[in-house]
Order: sequence, then structure tokens, then C-alpha cells
Amino acid sequence: MGRTSKDKRDVYYRLAKENGWRARSAFKLLQLDEEFQLFQGVTRAVDLCAAPGSWSQVLSQKIEGGHVVAVDLQAMAPLPGVLQIQGDITQLSTAKEIIQHFDGCPADLVVCDGAPDVTGLHDVDEYMQAQLLLAALNIATHVLKPGGCFVAKIFRGRDVTLIYSQLRVFFSNVVCAKPRSSRNSSIEAFAVCQGYDPPEGFIPDLTKPLLDHSYDPDFNQLDGPTRIIVPFVTCGDLSAYDSDRSYPLDLEDGSEYKYTPPTQPPISPPYQEACTLKKKGRLAKEIRPQETPISIVDVLPQPLAIPPRHTLLASEVWKHGQGPQCPFCEPTVTPSQCASFYPQILWFWGPKFSSLPPNSYRTQWVKPTIINRKAQPSI
Amino acid sequence: MMKRVQNLLGHYLIHGFRVRSEPDGDLESQAMVAVFGSKGLRVVKVSWGQGRFREVWRSGLWSMSDWIWDTRWLEENVAVALGHNSVVLYDPMVGRTLQEVHCTDRCTLSSARLIGNTWRELTMVAGAISNELLVWYPAATLENEPVAPDRRVSGHVGVIFSMSYLESKGLLATASEDRSVRIWKVGDLRVPGGRVQNIGHCFGHSARVWQVKLLENYLISAGEDCVCLVWSHEGEILQAFRGHQGRGIRAIAAHEQQAWVITGGDDSGIRLWHLVGRGYPGSGVSALCFKSHSRAGTLKAVTLAGSWRVLAVTDTGALYLYDLEVKCWEQLLEDKHFQSYCLLEAAPGPEGFGLCAMANGEGRVKVVPINTPTAAVDLTLFQGKVHSLSWALRGYEELLLLASGPSGVVACLEISAAPSGKAIFVKERCRYLLPPSKQRWHTCSAFLPPGDFLVCGDRRGSVLLFPSRPGLLKAPGVGGKAGAGVLGVSGGSGGEGSTSAEWGPVSILPSLHGKQGVTSVTCHGGYVYTTGRDGAYCQLFVRGGQLQPVLRQKSCRGMNWLAGLRMVADGSVVILGFHANEFVVWSPRSHEKLHIVNCGGGHRSWAFSDTEAAVAFAYLKDGDVMLYRALGGCTRPHVILREGLHGREITCVKRVGTITLGPEFEVPNLGQPDHLEPGSKGPGLIDIVITGSEDTTVCVLALPTATGAAHALTAVCNHISSVRAVAVWGTGTPGGPQDPRPGLTAHVVSAGGRAEMQCFSIMVTPDPSTPSRLACHIMHLSSHRLDEYWDRQRNRHQLVKVDPETRYMSLAVCEPDRPGPGPLVAAACSDGAVRLFLLQDSGRRLQLLAETFHHKRCVLKVHSFTHEASNRRRKLLLCSAATDGSLAFWDLTTVLDHGSTALEPPAEPGLPYQLGTPCLTLQAHSCGINSLHTLPTCEGRHLVASGSEDGSLHVFVLAMEVPELEEAAGEAELRPQLRVLEEYSVPCAHAAHVTGLKILSPNLMVSASIDQRLTFWRLGHGEPTFMNSAVYHVPDVADMDCWPVSPEFGHRCALGGQGLEVYNWYD
Ligand SMILES: C[S@@+](CC[C@H](N)C(=O)[O-])C[C@H]1O[C@@H](n2cnc3c(N)ncnc32)[C@H](O)[C@@H]1O
Repeated sequence: MGRTSKDKRDVYYRLAKENGWRARSAFKLLQLDEEFQLFQGVTRAVDLCAAPGSWSQVLSQKIEGGHVVAVDLQAMAPLPGVLQIQGDITQLSTAKEIIQHFDGCPADLVVCDGAPDVTGLHDVDEYMQAQLLLAALNIATHVLKPGGCFVAKIFRGRDVTLIYSQLRVFFSNVVCAKPRSSRNSSIEAFAVCQGYDPPEGFIPDLTKPLLDHSYDPDFNQLDGPTRIIVPFVTCGDLSAYDSDRSYPLDLEDGSEYKYTPPTQPPISPPYQEACTLKKKGRLAKEIRPQETPISIVDVLPQPLAIPPRHTLLASEVWKHGQGPQCPFCEPTVTPSQCASFYPQILWFWGPKFSSLPPNSYRTQWVKPTIINRKAQPSI
Repeated sequence: MMKRVQNLLGHYLIHGFRVRSEPDGDLESQAMVAVFGSKGLRVVKVSWGQGRFREVWRSGLWSMSDWIWDTRWLEENVAVALGHNSVVLYDPMVGRTLQEVHCTDRCTLSSARLIGNTWRELTMVAGAISNELLVWYPAATLENEPVAPDRRVSGHVGVIFSMSYLESKGLLATASEDRSVRIWKVGDLRVPGGRVQNIGHCFGHSARVWQVKLLENYLISAGEDCVCLVWSHEGEILQAFRGHQGRGIRAIAAHEQQAWVITGGDDSGIRLWHLVGRGYPGSGVSALCFKSHSRAGTLKAVTLAGSWRVLAVTDTGALYLYDLEVKCWEQLLEDKHFQSYCLLEAAPGPEGFGLCAMANGEGRVKVVPINTPTAAVDLTLFQGKVHSLSWALRGYEELLLLASGPSGVVACLEISAAPSGKAIFVKERCRYLLPPSKQRWHTCSAFLPPGDFLVCGDRRGSVLLFPSRPGLLKAPGVGGKAGAGVLGVSGGSGGEGSTSAEWGPVSILPSLHGKQGVTSVTCHGGYVYTTGRDGAYCQLFVRGGQLQPVLRQKSCRGMNWLAGLRMVADGSVVILGFHANEFVVWSPRSHEKLHIVNCGGGHRSWAFSDTEAAVAFAYLKDGDVMLYRALGGCTRPHVILREGLHGREITCVKRVGTITLGPEFEVPNLGQPDHLEPGSKGPGLIDIVITGSEDTTVCVLALPTATGAAHALTAVCNHISSVRAVAVWGTGTPGGPQDPRPGLTAHVVSAGGRAEMQCFSIMVTPDPSTPSRLACHIMHLSSHRLDEYWDRQRNRHQLVKVDPETRYMSLAVCEPDRPGPGPLVAAACSDGAVRLFLLQDSGRRLQLLAETFHHKRCVLKVHSFTHEASNRRRKLLLCSAATDGSLAFWDLTTVLDHGSTALEPPAEPGLPYQLGTPCLTLQAHSCGINSLHTLPTCEGRHLVASGSEDGSLHVFVLAMEVPELEEAAGEAELRPQLRVLEEYSVPCAHAAHVTGLKILSPNLMVSASIDQRLTFWRLGHGEPTFMNSAVYHVPDVADMDCWPVSPEFGHRCALGGQGLEVYNWYD
């Protein structure tokens, strides 16, 4: 397996490397553009959550001579024609810094491909994703020109209809788009909001976070039939590669496979120090008794003060028939046959082991209580 | 016993509890608990007086404007820390905000902690996305203006997930994404302006740290690596608790006085661990100081006679005994015949005193009673090296010693003792012959109860069955003498009884454990268990004198050298083996390493013994004997309060059937009588459901209708990659149709990553001795891996394109109605193929039959159905669906017929057939189809429903029609064809992928989606109309099954995703 394994599993990962993109997500923006002509007439754009920078690469190529501001928590390798800001987009100070670049000359396009580091706690992750989107929307309301366009990543989880209802307040046209380079199995999609048109009298306010909408008994019900679900558009040509399909390394177009190293080494992860320590064998290790004298060895763990058996979800792995025979077996020998098999008794010490389990032959070592020990034999 | 309080937070998940400390300190029998999670908050009063746990009162469910990170009781009110760095003072009894204060530093948080017992001293410690800690005081606000942070603390390079404050010592601990825990000296945090000093930086976890808790003397941390670490405040690791599976430990609690730590995992398991001071509980390694001037020679081999006596031989042929009670070495004998090469094995003998056997390079064997070494008996069995020695014990009644000599001959010696105990008799009973191989010797042996067979393992990895008394065999056909000409004449002193010919095995499982050999055989509960150096342990049984494999399981990752297996008191097994340099006793049930000894690996001489009192492991190192001992045997001191289910996402759910238990199997009722779910009276109905998961296991679950509990009956873990699909066929009852007995049997195929498929049978029977009242028996039948098949074919055909990353996405079983070869299994494959497999010999043979690349894209779903028409042969149909939203229908009726045209012959022999063209293709959706189901209607039509990634549903009404005469080209073409009669679509049925869909009746359908809604649809002639919808808790639902229970019970739905949820629906 090794390094080519990911190339086999993920054709877009491989194509991204071969085409010099910093991440496979470049194809998502390209396919979104194919469907929505996002870059038409765009000269000023904001790329929120931009690292490692493949969307910025696409933007700077597609809007020549334009102005792109890229923002991310992480540091990002420089890109020609892209102004970079490092910071948390949900933080007031970062938002102010971004807005200042568009003072008087608003942006045509705001994109946000932000994703929090997922914790695996689904409700937390969905909330965090929504906060990124709302922070991006808050910034967009400050920098976007009327009629401008906003594209943001969403997780289509339980409360996605709340996001739709919020976006519809600000944009005349909201759809949910999924590029073909995004996998079927992924819950990620993109809200493509066109025609920025804030409600009358709306005054953008940075100091207050935009909070999520809540369910509404009339327009957006939690468990009723009325929900705000925006139209869904699949973007990208049907002839495009299928991101769920595994492809052999030699693609059908006849080109021969050659391994390409990643365009950008990954951004230094937060756990880098932990990895370095691990590599050097310097992670803290548990203290195990080594060479302890035998006399202090026999310490019994604390006695259990609670019943050792659980009630719910009792796993009975390896639970076998209680009878002497396993239910899959036919009896091989009946007990009477068996008795005639052993006419003579070989050991004379047997009877006290009547408690022996009937169908397992594990003879225990019996520790004698009184030892009649002879002295060291003379050699 | 576990008691449950019914749903507290509606559709929110619970993230925390805060118990109100009572002014009079009375927490003996009741408590007021604030429960919070997501944006929801509720207060509930519970009491547990008189041994009865009750919910006394509950407040309303209050929704906050933002995410709740922490809640703290301030006398009657609570303070709530919210998502964008604000604090709310809230009256939880009536649900009223008293005050809300923001921090000037508005940002999203990753965690927060409130400290203090009054609003005035309330301190907010917030972890920002920027990795900083902000400390601020909400009460410092003037006219509700935002408050500036008092202190900012940075240090972590990842976000902070958890904090814990120890007031008595003025310490704060933080756990972070950067895999470290930091300890800060903060003094009294409630006093503004204090100094913050980082006094400890603990790296020990190998993934993100989710939780941290400071105790007076310890720091407990737990994380994504599934490990809970106990640290000293100085940053040393004192203990490590391992055993949770999957994505990590999410919650920890501790009870200082009892020295308990309780952990809750992503695997849904809850475990209790004991904090016991420094070091590993009750264990240690000590050197037995063999080297001495008075003892010549160096040690060559070591063994254990019970857990308290060590035996060792030196290169001078001297045998020594070390008794732990006497604590000194004692020479038992010295025999220069055993100088250069000596095997050593011990066995319990009369009175448990025991015997040991030595063997040398010249065919000589010595049997020594340990207490009376002068009574040792010598025999010369072979004219060459004795390769191996092993004992076989039948209780205390029969004791055999097996010795392997040259050319695969195994001498079987029977050993008996004189009543005096002072003399033993050794007699050669017979000789066995092993199948030819390069290293032709046996490695282990055991009696098969009741005792007429011996099970042996050999160095070539085979498991063999020999008659234990071949001389008594009446039927000469069984077993039979091995071929003549094999050298086997012995000149032993065992004397007259020995036969000069060898007996072959009556049954053999060749190379069961691969080239590295079998390491142990154990018989228990009607089964034979074997372990091998291939990292696997197998369960076998003997039927009609033949060995049959039941199940093969892998041990924990990295443990490729298994050395033995023990049954423990709770009925589970523990595995002995070597993991790199360590000897490990591992429990597959709790996934815990119960004992770890850093012995340097299994290549040196070693021995393990477990008696009821203690376990011991002895090994040679640097010319000395090292001994590890721990009291209490192979049991674990820790407690599983609740067993885990799957460690990772559940990918498929399938109901097998229902078992009805009579009143004698009274199911223990966990709920209170007034909380019983409807339909619980009457016989105990238990649904049996199979789940497959990304954790590579398949689980058989029992879901009693009355209690709402879930019992995991068995986990099958022989997949090498994630399981994505299961299919079930041939359900029946134990005993078959002639003699039905209570219970359930079925055949199951599971498939998933790395193009692997496993087939097994399950049998669930009533068993009053278990908590679920059921026992589940599994028998593995066959397995198939596409890459192995490809590798075989590739040697012959250069053409085969190999893609080992292919995943099976979905399975369907098609059962032909005619007797003959049987059922077909269709698999949807990620490489764009639909593949057909043939299962023969009731599942024991699994063979690739045909494939088609019709879809050219990842195929997501397959579903099979049949069409019955009067006076016509039943039609077998398969429907497949791909990521482009298209459906294809295949007629498989004649696939298995001789000379059928349904399949096109392969391009080259040895390759699979080609599955012609589909009989119908439909474009149902614009993107991937994630669910598919069909149902025949009474008019002989078929409803076909599909659900897609875009949240839409599509229903087709199909008919099987004979084309009009004039349309048909010729008479031969007059075959019925599938035709679309009607077509309905619901574009925005769900807000995300529809991953579960089932047509329950011609007018009822249910769908489930990743948007966490379960929706029921009325089908009027196929057209779906919304009936109602419910929100459920399991995120990322990947599969759903739904079945009717009884008129008063309605339907049950099982939803599998990040967890499992069972939902009862009443029309
Ligand atoms: C999927 S990546 C974006 C990939 C990028 N569009 C590209 O094509 O290269 C998501 C990014 O969101 C960033 N991010 C997450 N939370 C953020 C926040 N609060 N503020 C700024 N960036 C954030 C992460 O650092 C990460 O680099």
C-alpha cells in the first residue's frame, strides 16, 4: 500500500497533486463555478478559511488583476496577488481587519470553505460549522455589494434548515449545491447565495454575533411538514470523475500513472510537538514496577465495593451452550459408551475433584498447605 | 441495577449534569440536578430513598439563545456560560433570564468553565478558538456593558477542550487539541489580577485530550486515544486505563474517597477503574538470583509448576526448583544426558504436586515427580532429537505425555502413579504420525471431552484429531495405521505395551494457523479453541469424529504471536501472547491488556501459569530467571458498568426476526412500572438485529420490546476493514421445520472495505442464565476477498486490473425457488461494478460468478425482489443504483440455469461471466441514491422507492407485462418485461441524504435521513403524502430497518449511524 493508497482511493486528491493545486477542494470551487458562473464580473473577492489555499489559487487565476483577501486561523504559504490575514473569523478583531480592506469599495464575492476540526460529537461540530458560516455571513453583510454573491460550506445535519432560513433573509436566491468532487458519503455541501439584498433598514453590526435562527411553528417546523429546504443542485459534469469510485492507478484515458508528491506540505498541526516528543521517545510513560523484590509483589487491588455485573448492553461474546454439548455438534459419544472406554482407573487420587467442570479438562495446580519438604539433596 | 429517567432534553443531547449542593449538606437521598446540552437546560429533582430511584419533579425545558458550555448553581439560580463568550444568570425554576453579560472579546469558544458560588464572585474561564484562555468576571459589568477580560493565558497550540479547577490548591488544568494537558498555578481564581504560572506540561496521550479532572492528589485525563491517564500533580503517569474502543473517551468522573474513576466512551460503554496509588496493581517482575558460585552452568530452559514453583535446567543437565515460599533454589537432579539440548515441560499430577518432563537430542525422555526426583523414569523413544514435548490431562484420571521425534512420529506415553505416591509408571501407549512438512512436530495437545480423542496442533499450523486409545478402536476404517516404511520402532523401556506402528489423524484442519504454527489447544464448553502465531484464535468443534471450524478471530492489533487461551470465571476468554517485546494477557471482551510483562519477546524460554490464586510468568533473561506474579488470576479488577457497542459508526442495520420467550424467562424490568412501554404485557418479544460497523465488527443484538434495552449478544470480528453491508437469508428455528424449538437461526453475509465478504450462520436460543435471557452461537462458513481472487487470476491473465481499495457498498441475497445451487449474493461495488456471487453448500462455498460495469460509477445500493405470476416461473429481479442517480434492473431468473443466456461468457476462462444488459434502466435522481426498497402490490405490480443525496424521494410503480403481439418481433421474444406505470417524486422530502427507506405496506412508507428526521408517508397508489415526522438523536444515520410488531405496538424502527436508536411508531 503505502503512499499510492490514497491516490487509488481518491481520484481528486491525485488529480489535485498532478495539477498543482494545494488541496483537492480546488475542484469543488471550479465545479461550483461551472454551474453558477461565480467569477463572472468579479474583481474583488474574499476567501474566508482559506488555508492551505487552493481556493485562493483558483480565485487569483480566475479573476485576473483582481483583489483577493484570504483569511485563515492557520498561516498559509504566500500566493501572488493574494493578501493574507491570519486570524479567527468569528473574532471581532479579525472581522474588523477584513472589513477595513473593503472600505468604500465593496466585494463582489465572499467565499467560505471553513470547517472546524471535527470533534466527532456531531451536535458540537454542526454548531461550530454554523458559527463559522454565520461569522462569514456577518462579514459578508459588511463587505458585499448589493447583488453580490456568497458561497459557504454547510453541513447538512439536523438544523440545516435554520441556516437556510437565515440566508434567505439576505439573499434573493439561495440553493444548496454539491460539486461532484465532494463525496456522496460526505454531509458537506455549499450554500450558494446570489443577489445580496439585505432587508430594508438592516444595519450591519459587527459587535453582536449573528445567532442561529430557531424553529418556527409556522414557517420552519422542527418535526412537521413545513420546513425551509432550498433547492439542491449537483454541480459538475456527469462525465467528471466519480469521487466515490475507486479507480485503478492507470486511468481510462490511457495515461500512465506516476506518483506525484503533495503540492504543499501539510500545515503544521497543533499536535506537532506531541509527535516530535513521541518520535524521540520522550512522551511520559506509565511507571511499571521493574525488578521489585518479590516480597512486595503480592498486593491485591482494592476490593470491589459494587456488584461486578452490568445490566444494559451485556455482551455475551463467546457465550456458549450451558449443556455439555455445543448445539452445533451431534453427540460423538454417549456417556455410557464413554464409561466402557475407560476400564481401569489410572490415578488413585481422583475423588476429591468432583467439582471439576464436566466438559473441560483443566487440572489445577493444587497448592499444598503443609509442605513436607526434605532438605537440600546432597549432590 | 440501572434506572432510567425518561427524556430530559427533548431533541438536544445531554452534555453535562450539575448537582446543586444543598445548604444543609443533605445529598443522602435526593438531589436537584441541572441537566444541559446544546441549547437546552432543565432542572430535575431525583430521589433514591428506600432503595427506589425516582424522579420527583422536573422544570420546563428551557432553550438558550446560544450553545451552553457550562452551567453552575448559584444558590437557587444558575449561571450559564454561552457559546459566544457571554454569561447568563438564569432562574431555572420558572425559566427566566435575570441578566446577560458579554465579554468584550466576542468570539466562539471551544470550552468554558464557571467558578464561584455567588454571582458576585462568579468567574468565567473561557477557551477561545484562538487557543487562548480568557478569565473575566461577569459581575464587573456596569449597566450590562461588555466586560473586558481580566487575564489572557496562552500556551496551548491547539484549542482547549476541557478545564478543571482545584480550589484547595489553587490549580487549574487544561486539556487540548495539541495532545497535552497543562497544569497552571492560579491561586484563587475569583480574585482579579492574580498571577498565572504554567507549572506542568503533560504529554502522554497520542491523540487529542477531551477531558481533564483535578483531584486532591491526582490529575485524570482522557482522550481520543481511548486511554484514561492518571497523573501525579508533578506530571508523572501513575496509571493508564485502556479498554474503551473507537473514537475515544468522552466523559470522566471520579470519586476520591472510593478511589474510583469512571469513564464513558464513544463506544457507549461505561467503565469503573480503581485508583491504586503508584504503579501497576499487584504485580511486578523479580529476578530469582540463580547465578551463584555453588551452581555451575547457565540456564537453558524454564517452566512453571503452578504459579509458585519454577523449574529450570542448565547446560550441565541439572534440574533446579525454586519455591516462592521457601525462596531458594534447590537442585532436584543432574543428568549429563541432558547437557546440550533439553526440553522442559511440567504438568500437575497427583495431589497437584506435579511432574515434569525433560527431553534431549538423542531421543531420550525423563519424567520426574517434582517432590520425589529420585523416582524419575527414563525412556529412549527415538534415535534422534526430540523436537517437542506436551502434556494432555483428563482431569486427574488420565495423564499423557506426547513427545515428537524425527519424521513426524509422536510417541504417546501414559503416566500413572503408585498409591504411595513414591513411584510412577511410564508406559508407551501408542505412536502417532504427523502429516509431512519441513518442521514436522507437534506443538500442543489436549483431551477432547469426554476423552476418546486428543486434539493436537503442529508446527505447520495444522490442527489434528487423534484417537486417544487407538488400540481400542473397533472399526479399523477409522484413522487407520499410517503407511509402513516410516521409521517408528522404539527401544523404549516403556516395554511391552508399545506398538511399533503409527496412527494417523482421524481428522485434520491443514494449516489452520499458517506457516508459523499452532501454539495451543484448549477444550471448553463443547468447543475446541486453538491459538497460533498468525495472530488468530479459532473456535472449532468435533462432529462425527471430524474437526470443524466455527469461528476465527483476530486478537488485538500488533499481537501476532498468540501463545495460549484461558477461560475465565465470567465465561469469557483471555488470550496470552506476545506483542513486540511484551508478554500480554489480553481480554477480547474488555479489550484490556490485563497483564503486560516486558520480557523481550517469545523467543526465549518462558512459561505461564494461572492458578486460582495468582498468575505467574517466568522467562530467562541474562542467565537468570525472571518471574512476574500477580494475585487474582486472569480476571480484571476493573468493572464494566455498561458494555460498549460499536467503537465506530454503524453502517448497516438488519432485523433478523423475533423470539418469543415464555413467562419462565421473565425479562428483568429496568423501567419503573409506570414507565412501561405499551405492549410490554404478554409474552416477552425480543427482536434480533444485526449491525455492521466501521470498527470492522458485526454485532448480533437483542432488543426486547418491553424494556427498550439493548443487549449485544455476540460480536464477530473477522473483517480486515470496515463492514458496510449485511444481508440475511434462510431464517428459521433451531431444530428446523420438523422439530421447531424456541429461538432463531439465520445465515448472514457481511461485506465492506478491501472487497471482503464473510458468511456465517447465527443461532439464538433462550438461556435463562444471561441478562438478555438469550445465548447466541456463531459459525463462520466462508469468506471471499476480491484481491486474493484477482491475484490468482492475474498470474494467468495480464488483463486483470487490480484495485484492492474496492469497497462493497451494499448486499442483496436472491434466493432461487428451485432446489439446486443456492442463493445468489449481489454486491454493489465502489469500482463501478455489480458483482454476483454464488453461495453453495449452505454458505460454505462463496464464489464470484458474474459482474457488470454497466454503471461505470460507484454503485451504492442493490436490492433484490421476486415477481410471482400465476402459472409462470417466479422471476428473480435485482435492482442496482449508483452515484449518478440511475437505477438498473436485472432479470436473474435463469442465471443459474444450464445454458442460460442471462450471462455472457467471460472474455477469458477463469474470469467471471458478464451480466448482460439490464432489463430496464431509469433515471430517478440527479445524484447518488442512498436508499432503495421495493414491495409487490396485490395487483401484481411493484413499488420501487429510492431516496437520494439531495433529500428527494422517488416512487415508481412497475408492472411486469407481456408486450402486445404486434410489438413483439417474434414469438421467442414474447417474454414479460418491466414497464413503468407511474412515477412520483418528492423533491425536498428531507434536508439531507435519505439513507433509510422502507415500504411497509402498499400504503405506508418510512424514510430516514441524515437530517435526523424519521418521516412516515402515506402511499396512495404510489404517491407519497406526508403523514408525520419525528426528530431522532443518532447523527449520520447510514441505515434503517423498520418492521411491524403487533397491532397495539405499531412499528419499530432501528436507526444506525453514530449510535443506534430504536424508535417505536404507533399509527
Ligand atoms: C477545508 S479547509 C479550507 C481549504 C481551502 N478552501 C483550500 O481550498 O485550500 C478549512 C480551513 O478552515 C480554517 N478555519 C477553521 N475555523 C476557522 C476560524 N474560526 N477562523 C478562520 N479559519 C478557520 C481551518 O484552519 C482550515 O484551514
